[in-house]
Amino acid sequence: MRTLNRVLALILITCLLLPVSGCTGSKLSTQDKKVIIKVIVKKKDASFWTVVRMGAEAAGKEFNVSVDFDGPTDEKDIDGQIRMVEGAITEKVDALVLAASDYTRLVGVAEQAVREDIPVIIIDSDIDSDKMYSFIGTDNVDAGKLLAESMLGKVGENCNISVMSFIKGAASSDQREEGLFEVISKNTSVKVLSTEYCNSSEDVAEQLTENLIQKYPELNAIVCTNAYGTVGTARAVEKLGKAGKIKVIGFDSTPDEISFMERDVVQSLIVQNPFNMGYLGIKYALDAHQGKSLPKRENTGSKAIDKNNMYEPENEKLLFPFTN
Amino acid sequence: MKIRLRMILKKLYGLLQTIFKVSSIQSVITLSFTAVTVLSLIFVSLTLYGTFSDNAEKNAAASTQQIMDQVNLNLNSYLKGMMEISDLIRSNLNEKTFKNRDNLINLLQVTSQIRKDIVAMAVYSDTGTLLFSSPSGSYNSNFHAAEQGWFKSTIQRPVDYIFVSPHVQRLYMNNRPWVVSLCRSVTFYENNKPVTWITMVDMNFSKIEQLCSQVSLGKRGYLYIVDQAGNIIYHPQQQIVYAGLKSENITEALSRDPGSYFDDFQGERRIMSVEKINFTNWKMVGISYVDELVPNKRNLSNFVIYILFFGIAFEILASMFISSKISQPIKRLEKQMKRVENGDFDINLEVYGEDEVKRLSKAFNLMVARIRQLMNQIISEQEAKRKSEFKALQAQINPHFLYNTLDSIVWMNENRNYEGVTTMVSALAKLFRVSISKGSEIINVSDEIGHAASYLTIQKIRYKDKFDFHIETQPEALGQKTLKLLLQPIIENAIYHGINQLQEKGEIEIAVAVEEGNIVYRVTDNGYGIKPDLLSTILDQEPTSTHGGGVGLKNVNERIKLCYGSEYGLEIISELDEGTSVFIRIPLNDSGSGGRYENIK
Repeated sequence: MRTLNRVLALILITCLLLPVSGCTGSKLSTQDKKVIIKVIVKKKDASFWTVVRMGAEAAGKEFNVSVDFDGPTDEKDIDGQIRMVEGAITEKVDALVLAASDYTRLVGVAEQAVREDIPVIIIDSDIDSDKMYSFIGTDNVDAGKLLAESMLGKVGENCNISVMSFIKGAASSDQREEGLFEVISKNTSVKVLSTEYCNSSEDVAEQLTENLIQKYPELNAIVCTNAYGTVGTARAVEKLGKAGKIKVIGFDSTPDEISFMERDVVQSLIVQNPFNMGYLGIKYALDAHQGKSLPKRENTGSKAIDKNNMYEPENEKLLFPFTN
Repeated sequence: MKIRLRMILKKLYGLLQTIFKVSSIQSVITLSFTAVTVLSLIFVSLTLYGTFSDNAEKNAAASTQQIMDQVNLNLNSYLKGMMEISDLIRSNLNEKTFKNRDNLINLLQVTSQIRKDIVAMAVYSDTGTLLFSSPSGSYNSNFHAAEQGWFKSTIQRPVDYIFVSPHVQRLYMNNRPWVVSLCRSVTFYENNKPVTWITMVDMNFSKIEQLCSQVSLGKRGYLYIVDQAGNIIYHPQQQIVYAGLKSENITEALSRDPGSYFDDFQGERRIMSVEKINFTNWKMVGISYVDELVPNKRNLSNFVIYILFFGIAFEILASMFISSKISQPIKRLEKQMKRVENGDFDINLEVYGEDEVKRLSKAFNLMVARIRQLMNQIISEQEAKRKSEFKALQAQINPHFLYNTLDSIVWMNENRNYEGVTTMVSALAKLFRVSISKGSEIINVSDEIGHAASYLTIQKIRYKDKFDFHIETQPEALGQKTLKLLLQPIIENAIYHGINQLQEKGEIEIAVAVEEGNIVYRVTDNGYGIKPDLLSTILDQEPTSTHGGGVGLKNVNERIKLCYGSEYGLEIISELDEGTSVFIRIPLNDSGSGGRYENIK
């Protein structure tokens, strides 16, 4: 009888306490500070990064996260970007999404952020560190292959081409070239006349292209590995009346590039997915902040688009991120 | 599986039994009460919960539907407004033709300035040439309307209003807004020739968004609009959906007729309400989340859990109280009975409490009283028996008798009557041998007769042959067992009271026989007899010790009754001046045990 009484008393206490404890537990969990995630990109108001920002802000709205978007006004202002990351560390933001302007020079400050318990997610342009939580961006080797295949589709296998790359030594530049040459080297009939570096400047690219066209009259196509190179090259080709005669295979989808494609100056564009980079950057940063595990690399993909298919619903959405 | 379950249940039951020692009334009551109440509480709670949550879900679905009806109404009037604008352009085309293009351009411009949600309005010829547009701007020369899908379908369906799914407007050079277009073909006659133009109104999403986002379907619920082909017209997260980062259960929504459905999508239970939007082939889909849109449901489940837990708690208290109330008097009874078990018979239970307990207490009291009475009876009987035995023994070694006898022996010895001395001494010896008889109460009938004979022999000598005696024995009686020293007090009585005062010679006759299963002794004398008034009380009164401690008839009678029971004992028949017969009746074959009291001891 004594055991019974004891057991019953235990049940009694449990019955009375359980609902009460359930109440207090649920009250505690509602008080949460809004998470602040800093996004630092290469160039604050370039069209590519504007789309990244749209993705980041869409994610911020969806997950109720405060997104602080920033970046230098000049893509080559690496010191400026380093200062911005340092600023984010002093601000003690909850997480950092970074598109690195330089493969090596951002490593120190990014690793410092990680040491100070700020998860760092790298988007678009990677850095030379394995301490980062995740990398979200285009597989540039794949994108380079796509460039080559797209070029072969437009001009055929018997051709003379030039490559308009941007910065020798920059990770994305080198990787795109690697993919490009991997495919081209399989086609022995493709002759690469020269590889130029425009230093991410439209004007330089325009000048280089003019020189190329004069130097190599046999030139069939110019393959460009970024948006600046594409716009500069297209400008020169159009100016010299070579539109359609010298094919331009470009990269990215700025309004200028699209306009050139509509005017048949650019024959094909390899399009990345900046919206998804921004969106996933915020999503993963939040996951990392909440201690969830992340994939080490996330490929947002790339796609070749030409004038014929650019207004297919699927590509239309990719080229012109929806705004209302 | 089943067998294992059964084994587990069995083990559990055994465990419960050992924990609760289910044998006591209180635990049986408490446990069964608890079990029944908990089960019924759970049953009631579940039923309540089921009914209420069903209702709550239905209400939620109904309210979602209601909200959507409202949105649909607003959206309809908005689309209707668009159609009116389209009609306005059309009617202007009908009346004033190419000549009055300035009027038309004015109309378009005014409209587009008033309506911020209208991005552009345009009129195309049936070959796709842009005839009018508003606002004006640098047109995109690379855009050929005739190649577009919407242009072709508008031409094919001359009267219909065609709403074109969201697409990028390419009318102007550098601006690429996302729009929904309303197109319609218009045919009129110019110089008796039919001319077909296409009117187009491009609207942005601001108004649609405003209409759809102003209502709330719970915290996370939302509305979206989808067309027949599965293109999303409007979605609150349109960017994300278009970027392929989020998907909707569109095929499910399209396959449904208007109404509300439960929809398990990506691991979440949602209510999906579908409505058709008039004038279009669009469907409005309302998504609300069951877990939040039914706030009552969570409250309800909390409430039910509260009731359940408090009910169980209250029930346990109540059943503990009730069971202790029931078992308490029984326990009290048990405690007192325990005292009886330990030998305390001097208790009297208080009679109070419930009827059953009262009756039980009463019966128990009666029983204990009866036992007490019986025990007292036994004690007094045992005491009486001991007393009478002591008296009988005392009679044997009656000092008067002994020294009278010894006097007689001495006297005979002086008269040199040695033969008489021998007879006397041997008789005396035999007398004592029998009366002691190794302490046994029960002897053979033959010994009892021998004892009587020895006594008579001594007394005959002492009374100088004042009487004669003879003994008649039935041989079958002699071997039987009997209580000892029954005859001697009777004989003594006969001599002192019957023969002593007699002038003539006395006669004493002793007989023993087996009659009707009894042993019957008879002692007959021819003495004075007993007066009738004395005869009736003689067995009840204490002996008058005129002869120095004569034991008397009463003692013999009591001894027999104590030893064999009340149906045995003495019977006296006496007639004045004729004599007296005393019958002693004891049972046959009731030897070894020595009587019923042996058992009680």
